[in-house]
Amino acid sequence: MIFDIFSFQIKIKTNTQTKFETKMKKSIFLVMMLLLSTFSVAQNKIFPFKINKVVLDNGLTVLSVPFDSPGIIAYYTVVRAGSRNEVEPGKSGFAHFFEHMMFRGTEKYPEQVYNDILKRLGADSNAFTTADWTAYHIVASSDALETIIDIESDRFMNLKYTEEQFKTEAGAILGEYNKSASSPFLALYEKLQDLAFTTHTYKHTTIGFLKDILDMPNQYDYSLKFFDRYYRPENCAIVVVGDFDQNKLIQLVKKYYGNWKRGNYKPEIPVEPPQTEEKVGHIPWKGKTLPYLAIGYHIPEFSTKNVERAAFDLIVELLFSKTAPLYQKLVIEKQWVDFINGDAPDRRDPFLFIIMARIKNESLIDSVKNEIFNAIEELKTKPVSKKRLDEVKSYLKYSFAMSLDNPNSVAYTVGHYFQLTGDPESVNELYALYDKITPQDIMKTAQKYLTPQNRTIVTLTEEKK
Amino acid sequence: MRAKKLITLMILFSAFSIAQNSEIRIKELYSPNYPIITFRVMIETGSINDPKGKEGLNALTILMLAQGGTKELTYKEVQEKLYPWAARINYQFDKEVSVIIGEVHRDHIEKFYKIFSDLILNPRFDEGDFKRNKDLLLNYIKATIRTGNDEELGKQALVSFIYEGHPYQSPEFGTVQGLNNITLEDVKEFYKRYFTQGNIVFGIAGGYPKSLIQRIKKDFSKLPPGKPEQVELPEPKRINGLEFLLIEKETRSTAISFGFPIPINRSHKDFYALMIANSYFGEHRTFNGILMQKIRGQRGLNYGDYSYIEHFVQDGGSTFPVPNIPRRHQYFSVWIRPVENKNRHFVLRQAIRELEILVKNGLSKEDFESTREFLLNYSKLWVQTLNRRLGYMMDSDWYGIEYFIDKIQKELPKLTVEDVNNAIKKYLNFENIKIVAVTKDANSYMQDLVSNKPSPISYVSPVSQSILDEDKIIQEYKLNAKLENFRIVPVDEIFEK
Repeated sequence: MIFDIFSFQIKIKTNTQTKFETKMKKSIFLVMMLLLSTFSVAQNKIFPFKINKVVLDNGLTVLSVPFDSPGIIAYYTVVRAGSRNEVEPGKSGFAHFFEHMMFRGTEKYPEQVYNDILKRLGADSNAFTTADWTAYHIVASSDALETIIDIESDRFMNLKYTEEQFKTEAGAILGEYNKSASSPFLALYEKLQDLAFTTHTYKHTTIGFLKDILDMPNQYDYSLKFFDRYYRPENCAIVVVGDFDQNKLIQLVKKYYGNWKRGNYKPEIPVEPPQTEEKVGHIPWKGKTLPYLAIGYHIPEFSTKNVERAAFDLIVELLFSKTAPLYQKLVIEKQWVDFINGDAPDRRDPFLFIIMARIKNESLIDSVKNEIFNAIEELKTKPVSKKRLDEVKSYLKYSFAMSLDNPNSVAYTVGHYFQLTGDPESVNELYALYDKITPQDIMKTAQKYLTPQNRTIVTLTEEKK
Repeated sequence: MRAKKLITLMILFSAFSIAQNSEIRIKELYSPNYPIITFRVMIETGSINDPKGKEGLNALTILMLAQGGTKELTYKEVQEKLYPWAARINYQFDKEVSVIIGEVHRDHIEKFYKIFSDLILNPRFDEGDFKRNKDLLLNYIKATIRTGNDEELGKQALVSFIYEGHPYQSPEFGTVQGLNNITLEDVKEFYKRYFTQGNIVFGIAGGYPKSLIQRIKKDFSKLPPGKPEQVELPEPKRINGLEFLLIEKETRSTAISFGFPIPINRSHKDFYALMIANSYFGEHRTFNGILMQKIRGQRGLNYGDYSYIEHFVQDGGSTFPVPNIPRRHQYFSVWIRPVENKNRHFVLRQAIRELEILVKNGLSKEDFESTREFLLNYSKLWVQTLNRRLGYMMDSDWYGIEYFIDKIQKELPKLTVEDVNNAIKKYLNFENIKIVAVTKDANSYMQDLVSNKPSPISYVSPVSQSILDEDKIIQEYKLNAKLENFRIVPVDEIFEK
């Protein structure tokens, strides 16, 4: 077995699938033998592959990366909409729900036909929704490229589902909520975000508030509106990575996506005002549990220019990597927690630096909290050594480089940075910015953001009977 | 053409050798330009080797190596060395084998190998690490799965339930009492007994320096020679009718798993026929399966419904099976993801009825062909990285078969729909099944099941008449649930001993 203590993921995967008449060539076997001869960590650009970018007349961006995976391609459709776009009250969870509806077919390729096509291709196909973006992804034989472009363009342009299908799918969403609901992590994220945000849509998690999920069957009309607003070429990108012919790709994309009509909707995402005092919440958990602690500090949005934001990616490591003094103290020496981590997710709008810990005993909650706060104080008052900072930078680079070992992860990376900034090359700017960060930058950033009035604390313990 | 291009572009070398003067087996997958190097050290020891009363000893031993220190370096120092390279050391432990996995960029291969091999050859066995690792396993049982993951709890409980009285009964992560009984001395003894040259396969993949192979042979020949005797596996106990284990827990939905042992694994030719039947019935995390289409697709009763013909663990965020969990004995299972409590009776009826239909009617020629085509293509995607391919190669050796992915390509085209339908009849059944449900008010679930009272469901929107007609049959479907075949266990007692 493999341990996955952090079993609740913010990214929500939909189970969807599968397609068709072309057969994968035998050479697909050899796909694992990637020839990453350009793959070197000591180069100027952290992303070692060339990204081709073509923008069609209707605004659709096509990003492609030749990658040595003989016979295989990864095909992503990136939509720059996620739970962040759920601006109307009562509509939380809708971006994710909509992702499910995208598998319900069109007139040309009804649901079952779409599934049969994918099944025959033996493709690995799925989708996920996050706070900022939604992605539909397929890994399949290179020979299937035209088939994939055909069926994918068709559903993005001509999606059609009945109210009955819509209501049935709402049941699957509730099922997805239920499968996560036994995990304290879902409850912790729900409470932390709900408390930390007053105005911005990051107030809710991607799966949405339970009350809104229960009301989903009644929101058929809104679903049509959502599609009309966001599933438009200027808000999307196609990402293709692997073994393909660039000219043929562009020709096919123009042929199949060329008639997709541009939209004009501009979402107004409410701006979160600065937090002025510490917020505290508690979750009484029914049934036995170890206590959990979650702490969130407001931080700036993703940026390749803002040193303070980039500094948080290093602060996460300085505080919570396995070599961090705080981690060593709490996990290895005192053994007060069996799990602790920090995370500063890349977000389009200002989100949170989140700390999560599972504590071995309720009586230790305050001690753990104090150790975390002490480590943060130290970060504010004592410059971190250059050696340590260099180790963190090295870790970030090697970790990134090692993740790019298959077409799917390369396509994910390109999609991720595209949705954040509109330009996937921003990944290179980000790592170049890391290089410039000094111990003083870390100190100043910690002093500015890691303050009591800027934080929210949530605890979860067994309900007292 | 493409194959030719490949040959000219790369020299890929795969070899299996037994070193001279050393019994250590080395599995190589050499790809000179591949910058990430993977080690997979497989020890042919698992929870079946745990002594009675010390369940979890194998798991804890593996943790003491993979998450411990070396004679030279403390765990903290190991972490400090690995960190700037972003090198990873992972581990898996299962019923019959365990694996310690290392991954590093080739820039740091020499230094990394020294630490990695020292962790296995010269482990520190530190008291503090022992306490921490034991807590990790105990908390996995007490907090992670009992509290936070009803589905995993149900699946793990099903395996123990299916294999009662069999060496597979004890969970691979141990039991609370078993773990509490283990001392550091036990770990040292276990290590001495099972970490022998004949019991280990060292897998290596990527663009490693060839000289490393000699070094591995030399270093690992320091382990004691020989191979411990393999634990004999008796036939699993026969299941009589429907046998239920209901786990009582305060939860908002019901997670259901059911299954029974099957006498074949990858080394048997019928496995490949059954693979097609299973994919048609419930391919993992796809919409292909009948179960998925009918329970989720048509009725929206939950998030997913799948079936398996061997123990299955998903590899991270992918949908593919993790390598290196081979087992001599396998089981068929169905995983029903959490359903609303009010629908728990209906869904169990529906799933078992679908199994009955499968057993009685088999696949049509058309379904057989489309499913076979799917598997022929899909299985090639299981090995997209060298790391995964190496794992599959090692498993194939373990089963004594040619490379599994190649074998699928050879076996499936030979099959006919009759072969598949005969295999279904021979190995699957719908009457003798063990069923686990994690649920609230288990007693009332039991009463409902025993009474066989109708269990109608309602929809928020009109559904087609054909579905409503089928629902009428499902809601009356008789399950042979007898009161004496139920056990209701509070969640706190699961995996206690």
